[in-house]
Amino acid sequence: MGVLNDVARAAKSIVKGHMVTLREIFKPPMTIRYPDEKPEQPKGSRGMPVLKVNAETGELNCTACGLCARSCPPGCIEVIEETDANGKRMRRPLAYNLDMGKCMVCNLCIEACPFDALEMAANFEISVYDPDNLVFNKDQLATIWKNYDAVRIAGGEKL
Amino acid sequence: MPGWLIDFLWVVVKVTLVIAFVGVNFIFMVWLERKLSAKMQARIGPNRVGPHGSLQLIADALKLFSKEDIKPAMADPKVWALAPVVMFAPALLVFYVLPVGPNAVIGTDLNVGLLYLAAVSSFTLVGIFMAGWGSNSKYSLLGAMRAGAALMAYEIPLVLSILTVAMLAGTLSVQGIVQAQVDRGYYFVFPGIVAFIIYFICVMAELGRGPFDLVEAEHELVMGYQTEYSGMRWGIMLMAEYTNQFTAAAIAAMLFLGGWDGPFLPGWLWLVIKAYALVMVMMWVRWTLPRVRIDQLLDLSWKFLLPVSLLNLVVVAIFLV
Amino acid sequence: MADQIERSIGAGVQVIEDAETMEEALRPAHLEEQAGERRRMLVNFGPQHPSTHGVLRVLLTLEGETVIDAQPDIGYLHRNWEKIVEGWTYAMVVPFSDRNDYLAAICNEQAVVGAVERLMGIEVPERGQFLRVLVFELQRLTSHLIWFGTFAMDMGATTAFLHAFRERERCYSLFEEITGARLLYNYLRIGGLRNDVPDSWLKKLEQFLDDFEKEAYPSYWDLVINNEIFRVRTKGIGVITPEQAIAYGASGPVLRGSGIRWDLRKVDPFLPYDQFEFDIPVGTNGDAYDRAIVRMKEMMESVKIIRQVMKRLPDGPVMAKLPRALRPPKGQVYNRVESPRGEVGVYLISDGGTGPYRIKWRSPCFTHLMLLPVMARGHLVADLVTCIGSIDIVLGEVDR
Repeated sequence: MGVLNDVARAAKSIVKGHMVTLREIFKPPMTIRYPDEKPEQPKGSRGMPVLKVNAETGELNCTACGLCARSCPPGCIEVIEETDANGKRMRRPLAYNLDMGKCMVCNLCIEACPFDALEMAANFEISVYDPDNLVFNKDQLATIWKNYDAVRIAGGEKL
Repeated sequence: MPGWLIDFLWVVVKVTLVIAFVGVNFIFMVWLERKLSAKMQARIGPNRVGPHGSLQLIADALKLFSKEDIKPAMADPKVWALAPVVMFAPALLVFYVLPVGPNAVIGTDLNVGLLYLAAVSSFTLVGIFMAGWGSNSKYSLLGAMRAGAALMAYEIPLVLSILTVAMLAGTLSVQGIVQAQVDRGYYFVFPGIVAFIIYFICVMAELGRGPFDLVEAEHELVMGYQTEYSGMRWGIMLMAEYTNQFTAAAIAAMLFLGGWDGPFLPGWLWLVIKAYALVMVMMWVRWTLPRVRIDQLLDLSWKFLLPVSLLNLVVVAIFLV
Repeated sequence: MADQIERSIGAGVQVIEDAETMEEALRPAHLEEQAGERRRMLVNFGPQHPSTHGVLRVLLTLEGETVIDAQPDIGYLHRNWEKIVEGWTYAMVVPFSDRNDYLAAICNEQAVVGAVERLMGIEVPERGQFLRVLVFELQRLTSHLIWFGTFAMDMGATTAFLHAFRERERCYSLFEEITGARLLYNYLRIGGLRNDVPDSWLKKLEQFLDDFEKEAYPSYWDLVINNEIFRVRTKGIGVITPEQAIAYGASGPVLRGSGIRWDLRKVDPFLPYDQFEFDIPVGTNGDAYDRAIVRMKEMMESVKIIRQVMKRLPDGPVMAKLPRALRPPKGQVYNRVESPRGEVGVYLISDGGTGPYRIKWRSPCFTHLMLLPVMARGHLVADLVTCIGSIDIVLGEVDR
């Protein structure tokens, strides 16, 4: 009779498993039909760092101090400060190159910046045909900042 | 028009219809499988090619045609090339004895129809062996050996379960069995419920479907006997598998569920509806259950299904006939 | 042995140059004809294979279909972690540690961050500690969900994989709200957390837990664990005796599946686990089935802990007051946490600078992989997949 018990238990477990998949047929799918539908990204979602443009002056907040480059683990930020004809430092970036091929979107650069110049945009669609185009210069970063709702979450905030 | 010419033309028409049906069935069944499995897995399935993805298989077929035909260097060329054909032919041969109406059978109503069905459907095994042997590759041979052992093990309970139906009906002819169900007013699934379940399990093992798909399981070393086939050659094997699925379900529908019997709709439509209902159940089982191991597969057949089907035969013989 | 391995046939076939004919080239040279004995084959399993456990290569010695020996060959995902972090600051090490066990990132971060905090004697505020427990347990839940999905898929039940990922997708959304990322968070900081969580998030978390407990979790038992085919395929497979488990240094569910009641959350709490009530599920036989049951029950224990944390979450800051540049004193510390895979340990040697002098990462999956020959001996090839799945390896952690 132990055999009959085993058979009954086996049959019952198999039937119960089928009920699960049967119920599943009538539930809606969880697929998001990308690219026709875009996924919902909450505020603060990390896509890529971008350079903030000051609303009043229209210039970047960045003073080319280089703290972000020093705090970046993979070392994907390159900052060159602009100097005028006499060699005086202008506290403006001549070049700001962010290599998204190396960036791991860890948010450390944004936390390191003391001048509120870097923010995190939620843009994840940065595929390019040529990997050299993954290096974004300061104008591209400013443009992306203007088009996306970037935020700065640097520590301790209650969201 | 002389009589032989009319008969000949009639044969040509029937064969064309059967082949057309097999083609349409393949397209529909692959679409059904992908959509049904998607629904069970909270996905959508094909939805870009054609309305609701119905033309997806055309795209897949074009892809298969465009693949390079790779012949393994050490293969026996004739055996290797003929294997898919040998696997596909029995699927078509079964259509010969399918009854589609009270007086209509596609071929002729053989009075040993069940014997014919059992013989023809075990021919697939030869094709699988040819595929594994002719490929001359270690993994293909392993896969073919496994398939051979499994298929041979499941033949006996299969035949015993359909023998039960033959006993209940009193005839081996398929049309006769369906007619007997219609005459008596009840379908043989009710007295032969155990036979029905055993038949279902055996036929899923024979097809290499469902929880018994270890012969082509990707998580084993490679694709088993199908490893060395690419492009449309593999497409033919797939077509053979899906057509076999349909015919196995159609046989179950005829033996246990009354075949073409049903109100309002024409007979062949009822047969198709009942067969597809059973096909959907087979797909449901496949996407629910995990896979069994080769020794568990053989255990299930020899130690469980064979005694149960023998017992069932005895019980039906004593009490119901 | 080296040239034997060279000529192994499998997913990567190598041509033998000095063969005379095609036949000799394709015939494996290591097939030994032993009089009266069955021939033994050396077969390559991986590094590419449809089992979803990452790039692992297993050298199998088969006799027919029975496994005589299964030697894992690792290093395909080695990224030189321990050397790279020697030049970095501690803040940079934390997001990099996410990438070791990428399926349970918070646990890695806790190991590193806890080591530095112990060395410096930093006290994390209570709200920060409770929230750390919350995300840690949520991470354990999601990691076990992946284990469940991939284990069922290795058995052949593909549907369970997608069901598990549907729940995991909800967890991704939850994590994205508070940390900004879906898989690799960089959320724990030395001294606390990066940011606090809003109350609306806690409500969403509670909704998720209710749905999980009511619908998804029972369906996993019905669909896979109680299924007869699953039981038959995992009972008695991959047995690890308690003595073997201790001798090889196993930890986590692998150790508990063999019957030893050892959980770092109770024995050596690295976070305030002593304030919460939870059980430690323990197996009896040490086979794959028991390990599966242990992990399934641990999922429910994690849900229990998360609920308790949510009910008793105090107010306050989440980050301790720290100087900008962290310089721990000179010293050494070993910090261990109970990750979903076992005991993750960080042995940190600090020389007083802003970054580590040396970090040694103790990876549980590395230790468990050494148990593979012990587990798989005498089983069939199909059971090898079960054995690998039941110890739940992540190659990122094995290779670092």
